[in-house]
Amino acid sequence: MKNTAGRLKRATGAPASGIAADLNPSERSSESALAEPAAQSGISLSGVSKAYPVNGEMIPVLKNINLDIKQGEFISLVGPSGCGKTTTLRIIADLISPSSGTVLIGGQTPRQARLKRRYGMVFQSAVLYDWRTVIKNVMLPLEIMKLPKQEQQQRAEAMLDMVGLKNYAAHYPGQLSGGMQQRVGIARALALKPDILLMDEPFSALDEFTREKLHEDLLQIWQKTHKTIVFVTHNIAEAVYLSDRVCVMSPHPGRISNIIEIGLPRPRNPQAKTSATFSAYVNLVRSSFEGV
Amino acid sequence: MKQQPKSKIQSKPGFASLTQAKWPVTLVWLIGLILIWELAAFEVAQTKRTPENVLPHLYQIIAAAFSGKKVTNNLTATQVVLINAASTLLRAGQGFVIGVAFGYLLALLMSLSKIVEKIAFPYLMLIQMIPILGMAPIVLSITGDINRSRIVIAAILTFYPIAANCLAGFKAVEPQKHELMYSYGANKFQLYTKTMIPATWPYFFTGLKISAPLAITASILVDTLQGGGGLGSMLSQSLKHAMSVYVFWLIIFFVAFIGMFSFYLMGVLEAWLCPYRKWEKGGNEA
Ligand SMILES: Nc1ncnc2c1ncn2[C@@H]1O[C@H](COP(=O)(O)OP(=O)(O)OP(=O)(O)O)[C@@H](O)[C@H]1O
Ligand SMILES: [Mg+2]
Repeated sequence: MKNTAGRLKRATGAPASGIAADLNPSERSSESALAEPAAQSGISLSGVSKAYPVNGEMIPVLKNINLDIKQGEFISLVGPSGCGKTTTLRIIADLISPSSGTVLIGGQTPRQARLKRRYGMVFQSAVLYDWRTVIKNVMLPLEIMKLPKQEQQQRAEAMLDMVGLKNYAAHYPGQLSGGMQQRVGIARALALKPDILLMDEPFSALDEFTREKLHEDLLQIWQKTHKTIVFVTHNIAEAVYLSDRVCVMSPHPGRISNIIEIGLPRPRNPQAKTSATFSAYVNLVRSSFEGV
Repeated sequence: MKQQPKSKIQSKPGFASLTQAKWPVTLVWLIGLILIWELAAFEVAQTKRTPENVLPHLYQIIAAAFSGKKVTNNLTATQVVLINAASTLLRAGQGFVIGVAFGYLLALLMSLSKIVEKIAFPYLMLIQMIPILGMAPIVLSITGDINRSRIVIAAILTFYPIAANCLAGFKAVEPQKHELMYSYGANKFQLYTKTMIPATWPYFFTGLKISAPLAITASILVDTLQGGGGLGSMLSQSLKHAMSVYVFWLIIFFVAFIGMFSFYLMGVLEAWLCPYRKWEKGGNEA
């Protein structure tokens, strides 16, 4: 595994402290409300492989994945369809177990991390509950946690506020646009106050305008909450724009072919996408795929 | 027709808008039906079949409904229909409720346990295959009472659409919803109360809409098995006498109306209990 990070260096040191000064007072108060005890939330995969039996034969889907995700890092997994991005995410989420290798989430096994509700998940479709109002959707994980009703309500309201849907609490999902539904899905994932967000192509079903708006919102939420975000996408520009590092995966069998550190300064704004450095990173990612 | 504002928030869960859009269709359909009926009635009147007025004109039937003339046992035609309808519909209703309860319970058990599903499903299919008239003697010999077996048969017919639809509903829950609940660390009870059972309501109501008219039809059919009251017995008796042919047709109309009404009632119930349904689209994916 070659690391090209040296070629394009990071421009800014501490991104989170830089943005804190720009926050208006109300945002700052919600920041303190959302601040969690900084549990160790790095994710480390070492020697992770996964194979599925197909017609009696074991087909390797992931082969020897080694990846260290730092606490508070925004990392993207990019790669063509079938390269095992979702599989990797599902292994981290304890939805499937690896055939071999170890996964540690802040020193815990995926199962321990799941039961401690340390991660929130967002899928390509919002997977909302049609029969629940928006706020009830966000409260769902809190009901499962058996939090006091009062706190459920307050937390859900704070999360809806964060994704800009404060005024839609009483609506049903069917009354919202696709982008708004996806925001509800994000609010629901955040409601658990997880250290980690696992997002599987969360914006790929959205139109360009909505997607760009959600990029900005997600970056803002990330700056406010310092979560570790693992973001799966097959959109290279999206990965470069959002991430600290982009992990390029290649198929047959799924493997990491490159990890690229994105040195674009933080906070980022859409302007950054027009810069020459941005295109250079996009090209670098594109040229990192193997055997496609 | 009024243009409904596109605003999703304002639109009422009304049935008014539904009927508004449909009434011209209904009108054309009704006129067509009356036309065909009357043509057939003239044809029957001219060719003198037995009993003579087997297909009376519509106005004759309507007149019969309101006439005070005694038809049988010192009762007017309308009284005959209503008295017999009461016992038939009561049995249908009892059978319906029992069938719905057991149907849903079985679907739930089949969803909870693969083994239960494997064991129960062939029987479910089998019950569906046996004709009602074949089922009746078996049920009668088990229950030992004709009225009770009539209820049981209505229940059996109700049972299948509910069980099959709700089982499909349990299976249609997206895998991501299971994964979400798993990621929240939900237990089985929470999985079912928060996700699985609410997800089956649309399927449940589809089942109800099929079952409700079915329970009524079945109840009428099994009325004829042995004597006694009920719309079914009246139907088979009334056609034999020229006098009570009107009773026959009144029953037919009454039953058709009640059948449709029961379907409609389930729709109203659904709109009331599942208000979110009116905003449902094909899905959120695209
Ligand atoms: N349960 C399974 N049984 C057999 N093969 C599977 C199973 N799940 C996934 N695979 C295979 O693993 C490979 C990787 O799947 P995965 O869903 O992780 O890909 P992906 O990178 O997320 O692709 P996409 O961009 O299309 O979402 C695919 O070739 C898929 O066919
Ligand atoms: Mg995938």
